[in-house]
Amino acid sequence: MLEVIESINWSLVAPFIVIQFILMIIGLVDWAKTKQTNGPRWMWLFIIIFLNIIGPILYFIFGRRE
Amino acid sequence: MTTVLFKKELLENWRNKKWIWVPLVFILLAIMDPITNYYLPEILDAVGGIDGAVIELPDFSPADAIMMSVSQYSTLGVLVTVLLSMGAISSERKSGVLDLVLVKPVSYTKFVVTKWLSLLSLIWSSFIIGMLASWYYTVLLYGEIPFTMLLAVIFYYGLWLTFICTISIFYNTLTHSPGLVAFLTIGTTLVISLLTSLFGTRTAWSPANLSTHLQELLITGDVPSALIYSAIVSILLIILILFASIYSFKQVLHNRNE
Repeated sequence: MLEVIESINWSLVAPFIVIQFILMIIGLVDWAKTKQTNGPRWMWLFIIIFLNIIGPILYFIFGRRE
Repeated sequence: MTTVLFKKELLENWRNKKWIWVPLVFILLAIMDPITNYYLPEILDAVGGIDGAVIELPDFSPADAIMMSVSQYSTLGVLVTVLLSMGAISSERKSGVLDLVLVKPVSYTKFVVTKWLSLLSLIWSSFIIGMLASWYYTVLLYGEIPFTMLLAVIFYYGLWLTFICTISIFYNTLTHSPGLVAFLTIGTTLVISLLTSLFGTRTAWSPANLSTHLQELLITGDVPSALIYSAIVSILLIILILFASIYSFKQVLHNRNE
């Protein structure tokens, strides 16, 4: 397993991870600012944090109340 | 008035963070498959492989890598586009914002066209950024591919995305339920794709064939004539559906006001 981790060129994969992270942060900031969401507010916190990539997208599409 | 409306749309999409998350998601979609496929041998080794079995992995060409991104857009990209646009007009109608906007001297035509343009500007920008990221990774991991090829992919596949956006705007003018808009848009797209594959070569000009012809273009390097026909048919259909949307929007509001 260690060899695999060493063999991966992290400068290639880093943007992928960074973008996921940015998405999560933006989702969290937006979540913290809104008082009301569609459905339970705490549920969305867990969705944003624990579902990679899809979590923040789901929140932006279905969770936000316009 | 159109520019004021358009600026309002852009501002709204900035405030609800669409201008941030949609480009990011489109970049992720574009680079996901090229990276995973590049590291697939290592990943298989790491999990131990299948006892003694030799797994032959195909060597991907740069054209294959670009098509990986395009095929992600055909599924998840289209899904995101549809979900993103399902409330464009319909939710404003539901919430009553529409009445506030239309009190001002805004023509129905301008209103629909502005909604369409703001959706397109968001999708096209995200798509272009995503394809540039895909191109960067393709050149880095799989080899050179001319920039003009990338431009061709962006132009022709962008037409298919535009087509989907236009269908979505059309259903937006018909109903005030965002869920129904999404369902009908995806349904229509599926039916078009199904009919296209059912009739085979007789429907070579179908917009749903744009990505198939693109693959041909990437492999052979010359523009197949079917691709040009598909593009022309797509543009005509987009214009037609846009006019239909304006007409149906007028009808619906007219009936309601009586």
